[in-house]
Amino acid sequence: MRLPEPLLLGITGLVLFVLLWQVAADHGLLNPTILASPSLIASAFVTQWSSGQLPADLKVSLTEYALGFGLSVVVGIAVGIAMGLNRTIEYSLDPFMWFLYSAPLIAIYPLIVVWMGFGFATVVTVAFLLTVVSITVNTVAGVQSVDPVLIRVVRAFGGTTRDVILKVVLPASTPLILAGLRIGLGRALIGVVLGEMFGANAGLGFRMTVYAAHLRTADVFVPLVVFIVIGVASTQLVGLIERHFQAWKA
Amino acid sequence: MASRRLVVGSLSVVVFLALWQIVGSTNLIRSDLISYPSEVVATMAKMASTGELGSNAWVSLNEFFVGFVPAVIFGIVAGIALALVRRLRLLLDPLLIAIYQAPIIAFIPILVVWFGVGTTSKIVMVFISAFFPVMINTMTGVAQVAEPWTRAVRSFGANTLQVVSKAILPGSLPAIMAGMRLGVGRAVVVLIAGEMYVSVMGIGRLVQVYSSAARASEIVVLVVVISTFGFACVSFLRWLENRIGPWRQELEQ
Repeated sequence: MRLPEPLLLGITGLVLFVLLWQVAADHGLLNPTILASPSLIASAFVTQWSSGQLPADLKVSLTEYALGFGLSVVVGIAVGIAMGLNRTIEYSLDPFMWFLYSAPLIAIYPLIVVWMGFGFATVVTVAFLLTVVSITVNTVAGVQSVDPVLIRVVRAFGGTTRDVILKVVLPASTPLILAGLRIGLGRALIGVVLGEMFGANAGLGFRMTVYAAHLRTADVFVPLVVFIVIGVASTQLVGLIERHFQAWKA
Repeated sequence: MASRRLVVGSLSVVVFLALWQIVGSTNLIRSDLISYPSEVVATMAKMASTGELGSNAWVSLNEFFVGFVPAVIFGIVAGIALALVRRLRLLLDPLLIAIYQAPIIAFIPILVVWFGVGTTSKIVMVFISAFFPVMINTMTGVAQVAEPWTRAVRSFGANTLQVVSKAILPGSLPAIMAGMRLGVGRAVVVLIAGEMYVSVMGIGRLVQVYSSAARASEIVVLVVVISTFGFACVSFLRWLENRIGPWRQELEQ
């Protein structure tokens, strides 16, 4: 069996990158305090994992990620449907959506810390605020893309608003909502990292700042790599679901 | 319809500002936590007149542009190169996707270790944040136009340089611009976060200083300043896009 070329070259690229990095480090080209070698990072990973530190931080970060994202999905889709179906609601919330989307929410984290308390709730709030708008905006676009005739048909047969939403609006706007979820996943992860770096005392983002402050570069890379893996994995997952729905729609 | 959008939209903003003013100035909710509009305006005037706002904004602006402009140039060049050399693209694809989809914010601590607490680390942060969206978008945009356009231009006897300047660049302009807009958003957030993490001067540093003093009105001023900057950049890019490629406007409708 032959591997397809893209996969083969992709894996080769990754292996080459790690190998070059390792060889450069082994030959003293890299100062280990500045840039640790892959093998040092791997052993730091093992140490952090077996000491229980990494699993504990991972659990905190993933819980915050799931909660922040989950809340955004529920609120984002609900508000999105309301805005998509009702012009007055759409027009009056629009300016705030715009602001929330473009404002540097990171700058108001100190206020969030004051309101929500240091730690878990603050991180979830930051992730939520960063995520909810992209889901809302995409849901609005999805709802407004629904053929109005379909809605009128359901109404003509005596369908309630609930029927309209469940039987027409949600199914028809699924592709756009999924696109919003994919963008939202990335933003929620950024929110978790931001929240943990600045307003928490647990989680991968917080641990990273501790290691960096002690110039333990091999240790800094472990949470960083975990974040990259989470980011890529969750984006790919939604991408797969999206393709599934596109295939189903076509 | 557009006018109704404007009326309802402005009305709801006015109502929000009025409520905020009343709740804040009467201390219904502690005003040191939420401030209120008139106090924010007064604070902004004060910060501007002492030069505090200007001198820090200058530092941040410098970091932003010194990082952003090279990121756009290198991003476009790298994007075109990768789109045209298929094997190279496949070789680097997983690495690039990993960095593109990773939360760049997480690189801040290691970048500070590498480049110090001063402006250099912030310039690198801006560069990385903007480079990848520009490059990935350019790559996608070029890949979309490359085949048919290139063949058309080639059949009229164009050389590679002409193919790039006459077909590939104009054809992928919308994608490149979309990448730049995305890059502005990411770069602003990462720059502010980087300055907040550790810095000597800059808007993000001010945020950190006032946040440790729990000064809501100063923080709101800074949020307004940062949002305005991001908004101005994105508006400028839209204007530029219409200037360079006005034919796109009809297509977008």
